[in-house]
Amino acid sequence: MAEIVDLFDALPDDEKRESLILYSDQAAACAPRQGEPFDLEDVRKDEECTDTVGVYLRVDPDTRQSHFRISLGPHVQTLTRAMTAILCKGLSGSTPEVVLDIPQDFVPRLVGGQLVRIRSQTVYYILTRMKGAAKVWLGRERQQAVVSA
Amino acid sequence: MNAKFSAYADPEVLVDGAWLQVHLDDPGIRIVESNEDVLLYQTGHIPGAIHIDWRGDLQDNTERDYVSPEGFASLCARSGITPETTVIFYGDKSNWWAAYALWAFRLFGHRNVKLLDGGSAKWKSEGRPLSREKVKPVPSVYPVPARRHDDEIRAFFDDTLAQARARRPLIDVRSPGEYRGEITHMPEYPQEGVLRGGHVPGARSVPWKMAANDDGTFKSAEELKRIYSENLGLNPTDEIIAYCRIGERSSHTWFVLTYLLGYSHVRNYDGSWTEWGNRVRAPIAKGDEPG
Repeated sequence: MAEIVDLFDALPDDEKRESLILYSDQAAACAPRQGEPFDLEDVRKDEECTDTVGVYLRVDPDTRQSHFRISLGPHVQTLTRAMTAILCKGLSGSTPEVVLDIPQDFVPRLVGGQLVRIRSQTVYYILTRMKGAAKVWLGRERQQAVVSA
Repeated sequence: MNAKFSAYADPEVLVDGAWLQVHLDDPGIRIVESNEDVLLYQTGHIPGAIHIDWRGDLQDNTERDYVSPEGFASLCARSGITPETTVIFYGDKSNWWAAYALWAFRLFGHRNVKLLDGGSAKWKSEGRPLSREKVKPVPSVYPVPARRHDDEIRAFFDDTLAQARARRPLIDVRSPGEYRGEITHMPEYPQEGVLRGGHVPGARSVPWKMAANDDGTFKSAEELKRIYSENLGLNPTDEIIAYCRIGERSSHTWFVLTYLLGYSHVRNYDGSWTEWGNRVRAPIAKGDEPG
């Protein structure tokens, strides 16, 4: 994630936008594949987003590495598509704790101050959903630990 | 001509995809995309189309107003638009922002304006060509308009208050939940800082969507007359003010009433609910009734 952020941070705003477009093209590849198993599936349509977004999470029991897939409805905006591709790539392999604790202040460095100002909900939406999934997964893990004890 | 268009009051104000596709290279036209989705244009636009951002290009955000006549002339000049150019607008969200941009062009007196019926979604669904090419228009000369026609097609707070007190027609084009005061923003959209929910007293609820088909195209003249003339009782010479939240959805209704039905005195209150809902001592009504 840090590499992606550093790359964007060095770009002027117009090149940031071009890079966001390129990432948005890759969002479809983040969708879950047929038969792929997940620990958690959270598909819903929130007021903050113009279409349905599904967040799918699998965590490797041995390495605790997270693996996210995200499905996007056809009316989801371009910026949300871009953030989907960036975050799926950037957070792949992180532990749920790392996902949950990642500070949100990197977002303006990715998309530029102007887009944050005019689309404050949109730019944070996917990260918020991924953090939400990580939190639920950790909660379940703690419950299982209590039951096992 | 498209058979549907011929029944509208101004059949020339709309074009369809088939027409536009064979006129892409006409020197007398400039195609303009205006969107809600801030990055959509760059993902693929109609070949030759330029992008005009409602916030960055048309508004003066230091005053919550529109650009000056000088600013408008500069925008047109760098966009290769002359006073004779026919500007054809299109965009996402059933042409909300395209209608808004068209309305703003009319504020400055630019007469040759059209909308692509159905906007970008219909163009794409019909499999028509798209391009990611960066369009660089040859700069033109656009004389600075003598004035902005705010008094003709734009309403301010005081105009709207006077309209409410005189019980003249006010149309609230927001969603029913916004009209009733149950929510302060449209469903699926972020709250944009409105303190109170409800509507301008006396305003009738006619959501913008009633004028559009599911594919984003405008409903037929007959259907529109039923909505606005028969059900709402509006007459073509009535003084009408339409409003929404920030003036984009009401631009859509302004376009319908002005061009498709031929109503002669329609104004768009662009301050809309983000001004009225926050304004000290501005009266509001709640619930289903106009109040």
